[in-house]
Amino acid sequence: MIEDKRVFTTELAVIGSGLTGMAASIYAINRGISTSLAGNTGAIAYTTGYLDLLGKADPSSCTIFADPWQAIASLRENQPHHPFARVTDEEIRLGFEEFTAFITSCGIKYSSPQEHNVMALTPAGTSKPTFSVPATMQAGVEAFAAKKHCTIVDFRGLRGFSARQFVANLQSEWPRLEAARVTFPNMEHGEIYAEVMARALEVPANREALAQEIKAVAGESEVIGVPAVLGMHNPDEVMADLARLIGLPIFEIPTMPPSVPGIRLREMFEQVFPQKGLTLVPQQKVTAVDFKAEQIQLSLRDNFGPITILAKTVLLATGRFLSGGLQAQHDGISEPLLGLHVSQSDSRDDWYRQYYMDRAGHAIHLAGIEVDDQFRPVDAHGKIVDKRLFAAGVMLAHQDWIRGRCGAGVALATAYRAVNEAHKLLQTA
Amino acid sequence: MTTSAAGQSPDSVPRTVETEVLIIGGGATGTGIMRDLALRSIHCHLIDKQDLCAGASGGNHGLLHSGARYVFSDPHSAVECREEGAILKRLAPQCIEETGGLFVAVAGDDEAFANNFANLCEAAGIDCQEISTDEARKLEPHLSADLIKAYLVPDATIDPFRLALENVNHARELNDSTYHPHTGVIDFEISEGRIKAAICKNHHSGELLRIVAKQYVNAGGAWAMDIARLAGCDDVSLLYSKGTLLITNDRLTQRVINRLRPPADGDILVPGGTVSVLGTTSLRTDDLENSRPTIDEVNQNVIEGTAMIPSLADARYIRAFARIRPLVQNGGAGDDRSVARSFSLKDHEDQGLDNFCTITGGKLTTFRLMAEKTADLVAKRLGNSNPCLTATTPMPAGTSCRWTEPGASPKYWYEANNSDDMILCECEMVPQSAIDQIVQCAPGAEKEMTLEAIALRSRAGKGPCQGSFCGIRIGSYLYDRGYYTDRTGLHHMRDFFSERFKGMRTIIWGQQAAQMELAEALHCGLLGLDCLDDVNPSTENTQAPNQHQEDK
Amino acid sequence: MSDATVPTINFKEKAIELLPEGASFDACLTCGLCSSGCPASGIENMDPRKFIRMAMLGMNEELSSTPWVWTCTQCKRCQHVCPMNIDISQLVFLARGNWPKEKKPTGIVRSCELTRSTDSTSAMGLPPDDFVFVVNDVLEEVREQQPQFKDMVAPIDKKGAHFFVNQNSREPMSEPDEMVPLWKIFHLVGADWTYASKGWAAENFCMFSGDEEAWYEVIKTRLDATNELECAVWLNTECGHSYYTMWNAVNRFGMEANFRVESLITYYAQWIREGKLPVNSDWNTQNIKFTVQDPCQIVRKAYGDSIADDLRFVAKKLVGEENFIDMQPNRSANYCCGGGGGFLQAGMTEHRRTYGKRKFDQIMATQAEYVLTPCHNCHSQMEDIGHHYGGAYHVVHFWTLICLSLGILGENERTYLGPDLAKIGL
Repeated sequence: MIEDKRVFTTELAVIGSGLTGMAASIYAINRGISTSLAGNTGAIAYTTGYLDLLGKADPSSCTIFADPWQAIASLRENQPHHPFARVTDEEIRLGFEEFTAFITSCGIKYSSPQEHNVMALTPAGTSKPTFSVPATMQAGVEAFAAKKHCTIVDFRGLRGFSARQFVANLQSEWPRLEAARVTFPNMEHGEIYAEVMARALEVPANREALAQEIKAVAGESEVIGVPAVLGMHNPDEVMADLARLIGLPIFEIPTMPPSVPGIRLREMFEQVFPQKGLTLVPQQKVTAVDFKAEQIQLSLRDNFGPITILAKTVLLATGRFLSGGLQAQHDGISEPLLGLHVSQSDSRDDWYRQYYMDRAGHAIHLAGIEVDDQFRPVDAHGKIVDKRLFAAGVMLAHQDWIRGRCGAGVALATAYRAVNEAHKLLQTA
Repeated sequence: MTTSAAGQSPDSVPRTVETEVLIIGGGATGTGIMRDLALRSIHCHLIDKQDLCAGASGGNHGLLHSGARYVFSDPHSAVECREEGAILKRLAPQCIEETGGLFVAVAGDDEAFANNFANLCEAAGIDCQEISTDEARKLEPHLSADLIKAYLVPDATIDPFRLALENVNHARELNDSTYHPHTGVIDFEISEGRIKAAICKNHHSGELLRIVAKQYVNAGGAWAMDIARLAGCDDVSLLYSKGTLLITNDRLTQRVINRLRPPADGDILVPGGTVSVLGTTSLRTDDLENSRPTIDEVNQNVIEGTAMIPSLADARYIRAFARIRPLVQNGGAGDDRSVARSFSLKDHEDQGLDNFCTITGGKLTTFRLMAEKTADLVAKRLGNSNPCLTATTPMPAGTSCRWTEPGASPKYWYEANNSDDMILCECEMVPQSAIDQIVQCAPGAEKEMTLEAIALRSRAGKGPCQGSFCGIRIGSYLYDRGYYTDRTGLHHMRDFFSERFKGMRTIIWGQQAAQMELAEALHCGLLGLDCLDDVNPSTENTQAPNQHQEDK
Repeated sequence: MSDATVPTINFKEKAIELLPEGASFDACLTCGLCSSGCPASGIENMDPRKFIRMAMLGMNEELSSTPWVWTCTQCKRCQHVCPMNIDISQLVFLARGNWPKEKKPTGIVRSCELTRSTDSTSAMGLPPDDFVFVVNDVLEEVREQQPQFKDMVAPIDKKGAHFFVNQNSREPMSEPDEMVPLWKIFHLVGADWTYASKGWAAENFCMFSGDEEAWYEVIKTRLDATNELECAVWLNTECGHSYYTMWNAVNRFGMEANFRVESLITYYAQWIREGKLPVNSDWNTQNIKFTVQDPCQIVRKAYGDSIADDLRFVAKKLVGEENFIDMQPNRSANYCCGGGGGFLQAGMTEHRRTYGKRKFDQIMATQAEYVLTPCHNCHSQMEDIGHHYGGAYHVVHFWTLICLSLGILGENERTYLGPDLAKIGL
């Protein structure tokens, strides 16, 4: 059988299609850089939809900073190797602004960067600081802040989300919170996934039917909260329509994976990017990268045969263990694609502390790729690997995105700077 | 005996209950004694400061020894194992899988040792059949190509959790004998050469319970020495040996695979339903409360096991756990494995007590015999002449006890074919109805069980995700049922995840690193369980932090 | 349907054999993305995640006998969304093949038998002579009644033709006039093509029945026919699984194909770009809205997004860019409609319609009046679920619309057009 060889030539090749890779693609598109994006979109389908900038100046403390900029200033002093220490506040702001503006223009509205964090809701009935929320979750932030009379509605068959749980745990702070259950129209039996409900709500008739169910349990509430099922492709429209039909504002709350807000982003990127001229190779992993003098050659395959991407610059944003950007073996952590130096503790015994919830966090999360100020990976001696190679996102060392509540912040800020640096390089070439 | 409850107990008058026998320690032996006594119409209360099988009973391979392992070092034990194994297979089949076993030697192992094996087995009356190494590898494709000797033996596997549950359940059915979980003895009231009462404390609620019994049995396993001392007895002398074992994601062999050499680390690979258990190590320790696997022990098990089963090098491990074995000190030094594993029953009469006894040592396989001897002594002291019935009475299968059996709940769920009975633990396919049954009527069920207690009585949390997903679903379900009504539920979830983490910490590489990252992202990033309260739990914490008081 | 006489496969062992390292069941995080995105989830109380877990838990008897394997169309969407790329459909295929013949859905078995009954390889059992007859008969009629096509050809067994074109049996058997639009297209672009009397049919229910041997046999006949006629390209008609069964088989069975395996869609797009097919959307004066269905067998399982892009290029040219509404999700992430995998012949109507609800919702969300699709099974299924769930949309093949756009669509070639389009160009 004759294989179909395809060759693409771009100025920038982004490897990794999580939040960082997507952000990088946005910045590249906006700067007119011809770009390709390749990678397996796994981890993004687990995200809540919230964009965290920085919730805590010190990951080992649970003190929440209402002002993330203050937290960042503090962090730059206490954690001088944190990626935030290499970028300016201005860059962080611009990175968030560009990102949220882009996705808003694509039909998934997000709040613009502010001067402060907001307290957002979790399915367990706890709250967390975050920086930018989808419009579909905004009313929840406001309802919580104002302690409005609110009914949380859950769905029969949706496991892991219980309105009673939510209410039980928030009631002391939010007394006028009530719990109710509805059955999603035509989903009376069995296990139901949020994704299925979200897609069903893209159909007007289903919205009408659901609105009836919710109205019946809304009682005297001023606002309704539901698990994140408000549409998949047109969440803002779905939310607006439902609110209109119910006669009350409505908001959604993240669920455990599979997560609709994450899938929304993935599906949106996969459609929009090619429309904007980006070469997208979805769901395929880059298997080799060859830094030739003339250009960089990336190798991939799909069902049809080999794909080659020839690029002038490369941005590595392959994430951590979950997405395969880093791998842990018995005796150490490695970066499997390029074999980059990984900063890490000496022994596996140091990766995790004894107690899971130890406030000090686990050292394994701080392991990762070391970069210079231009976000180019360096080797164990601090020498850059190739001046055309950049790295960004949570694969970088010296940040704990989980405990630090700074996942999106790290993704966007580092992607922003890295793309700008790549741009500079492309312009001088 | 120490508890970490200092300063937390409320000033209350303890509730008093009366019984004939108080048994301290809910392992295989303690629960075995409970059933044995109940079968003699003797009423008991059983207490455990944690939960069933919290000691060595819950931290072993789950191996029902054919006895072949002891033919070299302890032929008497070997015979005991053979006999007891046969009884258990006949009477408690629901707890047992008759997998068969192999003893294998690889190139470099002592051939003389290996050659002697068959004779010694014969002498002990244990079925032992030599087979060619080719045949062995046909039976078990994962065996090393470097095999030099192979013998088939009638090893089997046993589920100690199920065993304990069935023991307690049967005793309850027979005469309402009662089990109190998280309840430990903190003091004895002694006068006139008798224990009058045991003051016990529920470590979750802080409540005190005064148990007045005619006879007191110390089946505290590794804690037996401490308990005996609490009663003023100095005649129990134990050594502590920590053993670490690993669980693989996948069952690698049909049979038990034993290394045919003088006992050392990583010698045995035991199938357990859908996984395999590899172990074990043996490290002398003084620390009873904080037994944790170490990276070195984990590595050691893998290295040693790989000699028999090369695929252990690359296998995905989902859990590592460590427990303390109590070894009855008979004087003289030597390898802890060689300290005789036969049991010892002390009547403490020379310690000035006539209604207290301690049963220590022994192994899982001979628990019934240990229980019989202890029950004989207790019954005699009570003037009860009913004979022991445990060697002839089948162990009934309690409906709420079946959930620990690998494969039981998926089969049940599949056959029931009820789409509204939603699966909460996807890895092991445990449905809502199983959780309902457990919280309502499993042995040790309480008004508000922890997730850990529920997991103990089922397979929830035992699959590849180690509870990181299902803990969320089960927690949510219990809130939904109104079973959890406040933040305590979140604390139970956090504690459950922390407990599971202990088992994962030393084996986080490969796939587990991805699984762990996702787990932490959910527990901390999504749910914020790391910031539940302002108390910093960073100090070593082996017991669930007592949150009940603070949240109300 | 559970039956103790179904032999038992050891699924875990098979998974180790079939699945690549790293994408094996061992890598599964039990995250549920597969189940969440699978239209067969919940049918027979099963879903992809449960299937994997049951395999790992050794529930071989249950997996060997669950009817769910006939409701999983093997669309591979589970693999597409899985962060670990685990492909459950391979085990489903194995399970299907393991069912004793008498237990398999009779419709699928029968279709496979018919396929093997003559050299046609037709699932409706239309023998070569009859096929030749029908083609010639229809051709004659068209030449007479549609003068602009008096020189049109429909060659059979033309050696050395560039394109070996296959034909779905449905047309010659029940609606022969529906063959004509494609002939007209070939005529217009001057394509050098031929049918064959041997191995001409498209469908392959043997793959659906899990019968590897039969699948191979059927493909062999077709492959030999193509090789014998020395055609450069085996051109797949507007049928989904016929493409996949051929393309996948050549690799899977290591067959020697002296030709390229291509889809008609690629050529529609190419001919339009080259100006050979001067389609435009002027006819769509009512601004009727269209959407496109991505057949799994051509898009996700085979060509990927590049052919999905061609589908849209063609569609937009045909109906007007502003009249094209994409369904969501789409392209490689699109949902299987439930027509494939033999579902239409399996006699499990209720399940099939349950499966198809997602597709129905997708179509309804676009509010399109028409769905374009280059696949017969998608076509039938989407029509059926449309009627069942009360949708008013119509489903058409591309050739219909291409001819409509070019003003050459014959009176008898309009079966699938709704009343709003039926008269256009007449």
